[in-house]
Amino acid sequence: MNDDFRKWWAVPAIIVPAAIPAPAFAVQYLTLEQAQQTLFPEASRFVSQPVHLTPEQTRFVEKYARVRMRGTEQPVWRVEAAGQHVGWFVLDEVYGKHEFITYAVALDASGAVKGVEILDYRETHGGEVRQPAWRAQFTGKRYGASLQLGEEIKNISGATLSCKHISEGVRRVLALHQAALQ
Amino acid sequence: MKATRLGLLAGLMMTSAAVPALADENLLGYLSGAETLPEGAKEAYLWVTQRQDKGVGSYRATDVEAEYEYGITARLTGMLALKGQSIHTSGILIDGYIPGDMSYGLRASGIEANLKYMFLSPALDPVGLAGRIGLEYSWLDPHSGQDKRIISATTEFLLQKFFLDDQLVTVANLGMESTYARREPIDNLPAGFEWSTDPEMEIELKAGVGLAYRFAPRWFVGVETFYETEFETEIGQERWSWHAGPSLHYADRAWWATVTWMPQLRGGGETYPGQTDTDLHLIEKTKQEFRFKVGYNF
Repeated sequence: MNDDFRKWWAVPAIIVPAAIPAPAFAVQYLTLEQAQQTLFPEASRFVSQPVHLTPEQTRFVEKYARVRMRGTEQPVWRVEAAGQHVGWFVLDEVYGKHEFITYAVALDASGAVKGVEILDYRETHGGEVRQPAWRAQFTGKRYGASLQLGEEIKNISGATLSCKHISEGVRRVLALHQAALQ
Repeated sequence: MKATRLGLLAGLMMTSAAVPALADENLLGYLSGAETLPEGAKEAYLWVTQRQDKGVGSYRATDVEAEYEYGITARLTGMLALKGQSIHTSGILIDGYIPGDMSYGLRASGIEANLKYMFLSPALDPVGLAGRIGLEYSWLDPHSGQDKRIISATTEFLLQKFFLDDQLVTVANLGMESTYARREPIDNLPAGFEWSTDPEMEIELKAGVGLAYRFAPRWFVGVETFYETEFETEIGQERWSWHAGPSLHYADRAWWATVTWMPQLRGGGETYPGQTDTDLHLIEKTKQEFRFKVGYNF
């Protein structure tokens, strides 16, 4: 490597350390417990009941959600209030532009979306997906809803990939409920 | 020392603007995707490209480009750039192109402005499509390092398509650059050396494809290839060359970096007397190029 090129590498050598004090990449907005309490304030008990999809169920979910399943196990909690089953709490991850976005979907006992919460958002742009108005678009949606970004779900400029992947994720959760939690 | 000052300036830019944002990052070194910056977003870039080896003598040129991009709307991004170059060449004499040894450090060499408009979003539409138009004025010949007034206008179409849950990004670029150039006279030219100072018109066409895959959080590995050819008023097709090489890209919350190796695989057109690598174009191109890009969002 010649002297001139070596000299130019001084540029990134200075820039990279300068960028390190930038705000932490990962932002945890809610812990698991906080998300559970936010989505089901009336709950008295969350019973861990992870779903292990069979190959047939996996194919069903992928066909409906139009996205690949990265694994066959899904963290799910059965939610009870005063001894009654009131819904499901599903913890999920979807791709952001660079890292995973961790979010949770609350389904009522009939399988309709009760709410969506973002737990961890690690992307630079697109924190607007945490806005209640954007997340409220999913409320009441059931298996069969298209959740198509730009049509049934409004897009947020600058957060298109995050909006798209969360919409696909909720569609996948609804398919998972249809396949394994009915 | 100028390079060190530039690095310090860039470092100061970093520390003085610690806020988020990341959008129109360059996953590859030479080809571009169709995405634009979100409205109101700002991004600063620094490119360093080293071109070296003409198959004879010693040739080493370093191009530097400092860019500022702004999201005018969610679909329209504007860019301004200041360019510089350094060059060290010895033992190369190419009639009409390189009149002798030249050696200097970083000098300002040109300015550029462009607009990029996204017609179709790669995340929302079946395929992303953007158009980019640019205008550049420069005053140093990037090949010989001599004084040369150059005005260039570029038009490009940029396609982008996601695959594999959007973890695989593919791009295709097609562009044309029209150039008006006029060399400044040189004293003490070698005897019989041709150095035309008449205005010249050139048209360059460029087409390329590339892909980048996110193999781990924040990390992309990519490969890209492109073909370039240039037509000049007096001699028709002056050159063509085919390049291909790998890229590695890293993105953090506020900044990203891409490093690319881009060797010339094949080339043709004009050759210089005694050129041994006749399957390469080495008058205006080199055997090897390395590029480092860093972008910072604020």
